[in-house]
Amino acid sequence: MKDESMWVEKYRPKRVAEVVGNERAKAAFVDWLRGSHWRKRGALLYGPPGVGKTTLVHAAASEYKLQIIEMNASDTRTEKSIDRIASPAVSFMALDRFSTNTEGSLLFLDEVDGIFGREDRGGIGAIVKIFRKESKKRENRKEIQGPQIPVVLAANDPDHRKLRPLRKVCQFIEFRVVDANLITALLKNICLKEQISVESGALERITQNCRGDVRSAIADLQALCGGSRVLRLEDTGRLSARNRTLLINETLKGIFSSKSPKETKTFLDNTILDYDELSLRVNDNLPLRYKDPVELSVAYDFLSKADIFRGRVGTENWKFLKYFYNLLAQATTVNPQSFRPFEFISFPTKVSTLFWTRGKRTTLDTICAKIGKRCHVSKRTAKFDFIPFVRAILKEQKSSPIGRWLQLDSSEVEFLRKMDQL
Amino acid sequence: MSRESDEAAQMWVEKYRPKTLDEVVNLKDVVESLKAFLKTPKTMPHLLFAGMPGTGKTSVALCIARQLLGSQWKTFTLELNASDERGIKMVRERIKDFSRYGRASFDIPYAIIILDESDQMTSTAQTALRRIIETSSRTCRFILVCNYSGKIIAPIQSRCAIFRFSKLADTDIVKHLGNISGRENITLLPDAAEAIAEYSGGDLRRAINALHTAAAYARDVVDVKTVLQVIGEASPKQVQLMLSEALGGDFIKARKMMYNLMGAFGLSGSDIVRQMNRELFKVSYLTEEEKAELANIIGEYDFRLTEGASPDIQLSALLARFRKFTKVKGQPIERRVNVG
Repeated sequence: MKDESMWVEKYRPKRVAEVVGNERAKAAFVDWLRGSHWRKRGALLYGPPGVGKTTLVHAAASEYKLQIIEMNASDTRTEKSIDRIASPAVSFMALDRFSTNTEGSLLFLDEVDGIFGREDRGGIGAIVKIFRKESKKRENRKEIQGPQIPVVLAANDPDHRKLRPLRKVCQFIEFRVVDANLITALLKNICLKEQISVESGALERITQNCRGDVRSAIADLQALCGGSRVLRLEDTGRLSARNRTLLINETLKGIFSSKSPKETKTFLDNTILDYDELSLRVNDNLPLRYKDPVELSVAYDFLSKADIFRGRVGTENWKFLKYFYNLLAQATTVNPQSFRPFEFISFPTKVSTLFWTRGKRTTLDTICAKIGKRCHVSKRTAKFDFIPFVRAILKEQKSSPIGRWLQLDSSEVEFLRKMDQL
Repeated sequence: MSRESDEAAQMWVEKYRPKTLDEVVNLKDVVESLKAFLKTPKTMPHLLFAGMPGTGKTSVALCIARQLLGSQWKTFTLELNASDERGIKMVRERIKDFSRYGRASFDIPYAIIILDESDQMTSTAQTALRRIIETSSRTCRFILVCNYSGKIIAPIQSRCAIFRFSKLADTDIVKHLGNISGRENITLLPDAAEAIAEYSGGDLRRAINALHTAAAYARDVVDVKTVLQVIGEASPKQVQLMLSEALGGDFIKARKMMYNLMGAFGLSGSDIVRQMNRELFKVSYLTEEEKAELANIIGEYDFRLTEGASPDIQLSALLARFRKFTKVKGQPIERRVNVG
C-alpha cells in the first residue's frame, strides 16, 4: 500500500448519506439547505469535535454542487475581515453559477466559538449583521430576500455566552457524540479497504478511547497501524488522551480530578470557559467535590482568595489574573485522594436562583419604595425595619387597613401575607 | 371623614410622630436650642443631625419644616433619602434644581432640604454638595440626617451646626409606649412594655412598630407572651436558619438559603454578613468564646467582600468556614465515641 494520505481525508464522506450517525441533525440540516429557510436564518451546527459537523457541510456541498466559501479559526475574524469576505459573498449572486458547473455557493464559518479576544474583536457582531443587513436591503430591491447564499456556522459549545447573540439569527442544530457501534463499523470498513487484519477487541478499544469522536478514532487507527497490515490488541495500549479545547463538563471533570495544581492548570489552559465562568462553575460544584467540611473550607479559602484577585484585576490589571488561576488550581486540588466522580450542577445555582426569584425581588422592592415614601425612610430601612412588622400585622389581621394606607394594592398585600419571614 | 379613616389606618410610627418640637419625648437640650431658631428663622444655620436609628432625627427635622414653613411646608420641603439615590446625579439634578427654584413664595423665610441618611452619599456626591450648600444659603436650609457624622466630609460638617441624638433610655420608651396604648385603648402590661423596650435597644421606631404588631396579635391585652410572639415573627428567620445550617447541618442547604436571601429578598453581601453577625450573638448553644471567634471570622469575610469580585463566593467561603469550625470543635467528642 503506497497511499500515504491521511485516512481522515481519504475516507471523508462525499455524500450526506455516508456521514455516520446524527441522523436527526443531518435531516434538519438538509431540510434547511434544500428548503427556503436559509433565506431567513443561518444554521449553527454545534456539538463536540469530530462528530461530523464540518464533514456534513462539505458532503452536502459536494452532493448539491455548492461551492464553499470557508472561514475558520486560522483566519483572522475581526468585524472588518468578516465584512470583507462574507458580506460580498452573501450580498451578490454568485457568478460561479454561470461560469462553472456548481449550483451556487455556501458560506461556511467554522469554529465560531473560536472568535475570541482582541484579535477577533467584533467578529460575532459582524456575523449577526450579515442577517440583519440583508433584511434591510429587502425594502430597496424587490427580488432580493435575506442572504443570497446559505450561511452555515459551526461551534462546539452552544451555551457559550459569546454565542448568545446568534440565537436570534440562526437555527441551532445539535450534533451528539456518535454511537460506538457505528464508529466500530466504520473502522472495520476502513480496515477492509486498507486490507488490514485486526485482532478482535482492538477496534472496540479505539472506539472507547475516542468517546464518540469519529475523526480521532480514524486518526488513532491510522497511527496505531503505522503502515503495517496487522493491528493487535496490545497495540491499543499506546493510545493516549487527546489535547483539545475542553467543553464545560470536560473542564470541570479535569480540574476536579487533577492530582496537582500543575495538572489542573493544563486543563485551565485548554478550557473554553473564561475566568468568570470558571469561578461561577467551581463555586457551584465545590461542595459536591469536597464532602469533608474541613477540606471544603480549605478549598473555599483558596477560591475566596482567587475571587479577591479577580476583584483586583477589575477591568485593567490583567497581570493579577495569573494569581487568580494559581489559587483556583489550588482550590480544586486540596486533597486529590478524596476525589469521587460526581454529577456536575449544569445550570449555575446563582444564575438560576436570581432568575427564578426576580418577580419576588421586584415586588418587594416596589413595596419598600411605597413604605419609604409614606414613612420617611429609605427602601433599605423599609426592608429591615418595616417589612417584618407590616408582614406580621397583615398576616394576623386580615382586616388591617395599613395596607391601604401604605397604598399597597391587593396583590402586594397578598404577597406580604404569604412571603417568607426574612 | 376620609381624614378620620386615614388616621385610623396609619402605621403607628407615623400616627404618633411628633408634629411640633414640644411633643418630642426626650432630647431636652437639642429641642431647646432648635426652638430658639423658630423664633428668629433667619439665624438658623444648616443643620446636621447625627444619631442611631429611631432616636428622632427625621421627626425633629420634619417638625422644624412644619413649624417654620406653616401650612405650605410640604411644597417647600424637599425630602431625599441618600440611601435610595446615592450618586452625584441626585445632587446635581434634584438638589441643585430645588435649591435654585424651591422658594417661590415670600411668606416663608427659605425652603428646606432634608437629606436623610446623608452618610450613605458617595464622597463625590458630598463634594458636589458642599458648594451648593454655600451658594444656596439665601434661599435654602439643609438639614442633613445621618447615623455617623464622621462619614460626612469635613467641609460639610464645618458648614453645619451639629446636633447629636442619643439613644432613648428604656424608661422613656416604656413611658411613650404607655401613652400610645392609652390613646389606642389597649392594655399594655408593664412587663410587656419593658420587654418591648429591651427588644428595641433604644430605637423608638422599632419599639412602636413592635407595639403596633403586638396589638394586632393581642387585640386588647398585650402581655409578655404576645411580645415574644411578635419578636419571633419579626426576627430574621431565614438568616437564623442559614446560620444554624452552616454551623451544624448541611453546607449545600445553607448555601441555598444564602442564594435565596440574595434572590428573593434582594439582600446584598454585606446585608447578609451584618445580619449574620447580629443573629450570631443570639445563638444559645455557643459559648461566649466561640461567638467571639466566629465573629472574627465574619469580620474577615466582610473585609474580603469589599475586595472580591463575587459576593456569593465570599459568603459561601464564610459558610464553609463556619461548617469547619463546628466540625473541628466536635472532633474530640467524635473520637471519644469511636474509641469507646
